[in-house]
Amino acid sequence: MLFLKEMKKIVLSIPYLLFVIAITIGLYSQDVFHFGDDRMQEPQPGESYGFKQAEIPEQIMPAALADFLGEFCANRFTTYPIGFVKSVKLGEKERAKAAEILSEITGKDAKELLRQSAEGSPNSENNLSMEIGAGQMQPDGEGGFVISPEGARSSDNLPEDAPKIRADIDYSRYKVLMQQLDDLLGGGSKYAAESLIGYGQVPLTYEEAKQRYETAVGADQITGGYARLFCDYASVIAFSVLPVFLAVILSMKDRHARMESLIYTKAVSAARLIFVRYFALIFAAMLPALFLSYLSNIPVWSAYSGMQLDYLAPLKYDLGWLLPSVMISTAIGMVLTELTGAPVAIGVQGLWWMFDVNLGIQTVDAGYRLTRLSPRHNVGPSNYFRTQDYLDHFSNLVQNRLLIAGLSLLLVALTVFLYEAKRKGRFGGSLSLKKAVSRLGNRKNQPAA
Amino acid sequence: MNHSIEIKNLNQFYKKKQVLCDLTLSIQPGMFGLLGRNGAGKTTLMKTLATLLPKREGDMTVCGVPVENAKEIRRIIGYLPQEFSLYPSMKVREAMEYLAILAGLDRSERNKRIGALLDRVNLTEHQNKKVKALSGGMKRRLGIAQALLNNPKVLIVDEPTAGLDPEERVRFRNLLSEIAEDKIVLLSTHIVGDIEATCEDIAIIDQGHMIYNGTVENLLHGATGRVFTLAVTKQELPQIKRELAITSMQPHGKQMYVRFIADAPVPGAQPSEPNIEDAYMLYLHQSGAPLAGELGGEEGCSF
Repeated sequence: MLFLKEMKKIVLSIPYLLFVIAITIGLYSQDVFHFGDDRMQEPQPGESYGFKQAEIPEQIMPAALADFLGEFCANRFTTYPIGFVKSVKLGEKERAKAAEILSEITGKDAKELLRQSAEGSPNSENNLSMEIGAGQMQPDGEGGFVISPEGARSSDNLPEDAPKIRADIDYSRYKVLMQQLDDLLGGGSKYAAESLIGYGQVPLTYEEAKQRYETAVGADQITGGYARLFCDYASVIAFSVLPVFLAVILSMKDRHARMESLIYTKAVSAARLIFVRYFALIFAAMLPALFLSYLSNIPVWSAYSGMQLDYLAPLKYDLGWLLPSVMISTAIGMVLTELTGAPVAIGVQGLWWMFDVNLGIQTVDAGYRLTRLSPRHNVGPSNYFRTQDYLDHFSNLVQNRLLIAGLSLLLVALTVFLYEAKRKGRFGGSLSLKKAVSRLGNRKNQPAA
Repeated sequence: MNHSIEIKNLNQFYKKKQVLCDLTLSIQPGMFGLLGRNGAGKTTLMKTLATLLPKREGDMTVCGVPVENAKEIRRIIGYLPQEFSLYPSMKVREAMEYLAILAGLDRSERNKRIGALLDRVNLTEHQNKKVKALSGGMKRRLGIAQALLNNPKVLIVDEPTAGLDPEERVRFRNLLSEIAEDKIVLLSTHIVGDIEATCEDIAIIDQGHMIYNGTVENLLHGATGRVFTLAVTKQELPQIKRELAITSMQPHGKQMYVRFIADAPVPGAQPSEPNIEDAYMLYLHQSGAPLAGELGGEEGCSF
């Protein structure tokens, strides 16, 4: 009964209406309601089936070197250390180290490389300045996981006299050197050992495409692929961040209504009240997820009529993929609001969400990392949903989702503790925090005895 | 079960400042008034009883249950804070249902009690109104109704009549008196009239100290022979204000009837029967509090 009352409080509120509208608009903008228009075709011999990443040293090494040379000359390296783009300019010492790395790769003298790059101009001869492919991190056209493979073609643009890779350097040493360069740049560059694969691409063969198709039909039963794609969008666009708003608003409602004392003195236990409110918030947030995921998936059913489909796929993915994101967003909203009495959770969750979203494009592995707020698998039917990649990373996904859900429940337990402390006047929320901070400040300012 | 509130040597602090000093009090069933100026420590005492503040020093039991046992205390008390409201967009009955669930009432109990309580506080015809549409008095009555949901043994009411019009105030006092027939009703107020109309036993708190604990009758008895009235002209009034501990002033034509307290008769003054306001002022005066005259009181001043 309490659950229904709390639900009613949430779903009949204006913030909830805005929440539903924001989600619907966000998902509509990603075309999730037109999945049925994009049908997965069974590959036929003689067609083009797209590309796949491959660790091909002959392709990767010159392409990555070309980017390295270009950025070294300009002394402007593009990295994504915490997901966001960062332009790194090396100082004297770091630049010398980069030159040494370049020297070991090319066999050219490091000082000479430095001198040439310093003196070089686009029109002069014997210089290192060159127009090379952009080398930006971009979706690879296969699912948006990798750094741009543009570099693979950039080596074609190298001037004739540009330094070449030494014949006697092997790929493993090359990777070590590139990793050193990445470390020098502060991490997150396309030269990191795990990111170099982004420079390697080969066309899919018919057999590979056929196998991918059959995995999607068999393991995903087609609708699973669409449901996963929906969850990828829904999680990133909405469900890993927007529930925090509902949680903050509900958590502040008692105080705004000047109802705290009335509720505090009632017999209900803090654990019951907080957990019921938590589950009501989650249920309210998941309602549009369930509805919209089916709204997105149902048109697919008629597009594949006659094939075996998993009609429960949206439900399974909503609960397995989206629910933990909703849980953590809601839990952070509740615990931080209880702790501070202010809507700081919106900022905290917003920051985490921004970092997480920007982390999502680097590698397939990154999409399933243990600490991901929103797991990523942004692959549609044109790439046969890359079901095998999903299956290969399924255990990572399970671990991630269990960790996030477990952490959420811990935060809710902490909320219960804080609520009970406030209820008994033992903790004053923002006032207590301010006091603690000022005490800390006073201690720091005290001269050592 | 022991049906009383027992407080022994209670000390309470707000940060480092002591707000209740060595308070000892026994409250029996019926209406008990807690009188004191704003900031005297009444609300701190009420909140401590309602488990909203942790007890620092001393002993405190409600019907035999120590206040540290918050879970049990919440089952046997009803609390109406000085400042409160309810979710504005909820309807009256809906708000009662929500709070009844929080009070642990099952469905049949809820149906029975909510109807009866709304009836008792004359809100039945307003039960489908939204809370935000209620007047101040109605909201207070709804506040009392919600505090009675769990049929508490003790009702704690903090400054319930502040801001109400005279009619609502009278209605509210009567309601509390009815409730006090089978419960302890602890009424905190700085409005002497509320106590006069409803309580037999009272305590006066000033600056955290209890300066009186007993019956209203004894309070009045203590002031007998120390209350006087004097007719003065308006020109004489400033000087009189400086010299006497005035409790009230009443204009009468060109003259002013001044009511004051004094240890001995003043020439020209007539002895008067003390009322509770005079007695209260006397106790405050004796505990060192400045009185109306000393504060430069105004006509018709209400304490």
